[in-house]
Amino acid sequence: MVIGLRQFMARVGTGAGEPVLDTDNGEELVHVQPSVSIALGNRSPDTPGTLYITTKQVVWLSDLDRAKGYAVGFLSLSLHAVSRDPEAYPSPCIYTQIETEADEDDSEDSDSECNDVLDLSKVTEMRLIPSDASQLDTLFQIFCECAELNPEPIEEGEEGGHNWVFSTDQLEDETGEGDDAECHFHQNPTNLIGHSNGDHDLARTVLELQIHDQRFEDAEEMERVSDSSHHQHQ
Amino acid sequence: MVIFFFPFPPFRLFFSYFKDLVGREVTVELKNDLAIRGTLHSVDQYLNIKLENTRVVDQDKHPHMLSVRNCFIRGSVVRYVQLPPDGVDIELLHDATRREARGG
Repeated sequence: MVIGLRQFMARVGTGAGEPVLDTDNGEELVHVQPSVSIALGNRSPDTPGTLYITTKQVVWLSDLDRAKGYAVGFLSLSLHAVSRDPEAYPSPCIYTQIETEADEDDSEDSDSECNDVLDLSKVTEMRLIPSDASQLDTLFQIFCECAELNPEPIEEGEEGGHNWVFSTDQLEDETGEGDDAECHFHQNPTNLIGHSNGDHDLARTVLELQIHDQRFEDAEEMERVSDSSHHQHQ
Repeated sequence: MVIFFFPFPPFRLFFSYFKDLVGREVTVELKNDLAIRGTLHSVDQYLNIKLENTRVVDQDKHPHMLSVRNCFIRGSVVRYVQLPPDGVDIELLHDATRREARGG
């Protein structure tokens, strides 16, 4: 499934119809919520529509326009939450963040709105506003359950035990430094937060483990050296 | 002291460790630089994290964002988790890290 929000036009049935699902690959419908508005990024809500939650994705279909529909896979939903704070958003809603292909350069609200044409692949926030706010906790729970059904697909085979990686991003730019990393616990958080602008070297500088540190020696079950005095921290 | 914990897959043993942190205040920083603070409600084997009483750490950067009761964060987008220094068993964490890297 493609990353990010996309158009969804495959409907079946009369009237507003229902989304066509990938049943051959086991996709199933989990929940239908009628009377849901959708707000993408900063835009005002699109309404009326129906929300379909499947085992793989979230689909919103306009009740009036069969050509208008949006979908995002659970693999692309970075987080979801129930938003009830009117200062955050006027209507209680499910707030979601969507992972996009190129996250770093864009600002938070970078849906390009020139001429009212929205680049869906750049939408990073989506709100789903049910007309029945009492359904929000149920919807949140269903989002959780379906998200749990969609863990990251396992791409690499088992990494040899000797390759320490500190974030999944590092798997791509692995240099051969394997055995020589060092371990510190960094004691000054403010520097780190200030530098974390998608800088994945943060992982390297902050927490690197000394493979040959004796704490990582295999401990014999019975004769474990109890070095309880060996604490690096105060 | 603050501990920054960078999880890496397959997460199984980190998950065991994190279960013991339920109820503690943690800050989760996502790969998109967003930092969210909250009480750890639960965590699963993929290190999906549910927080309660969440608030965004940098309100100025994300003014319209979360001040929510509950939120669910996908494990794969977590860059690191900032753990409370007291009550963290460093030896246990080292052990979990070492075993996780060896494939459990």
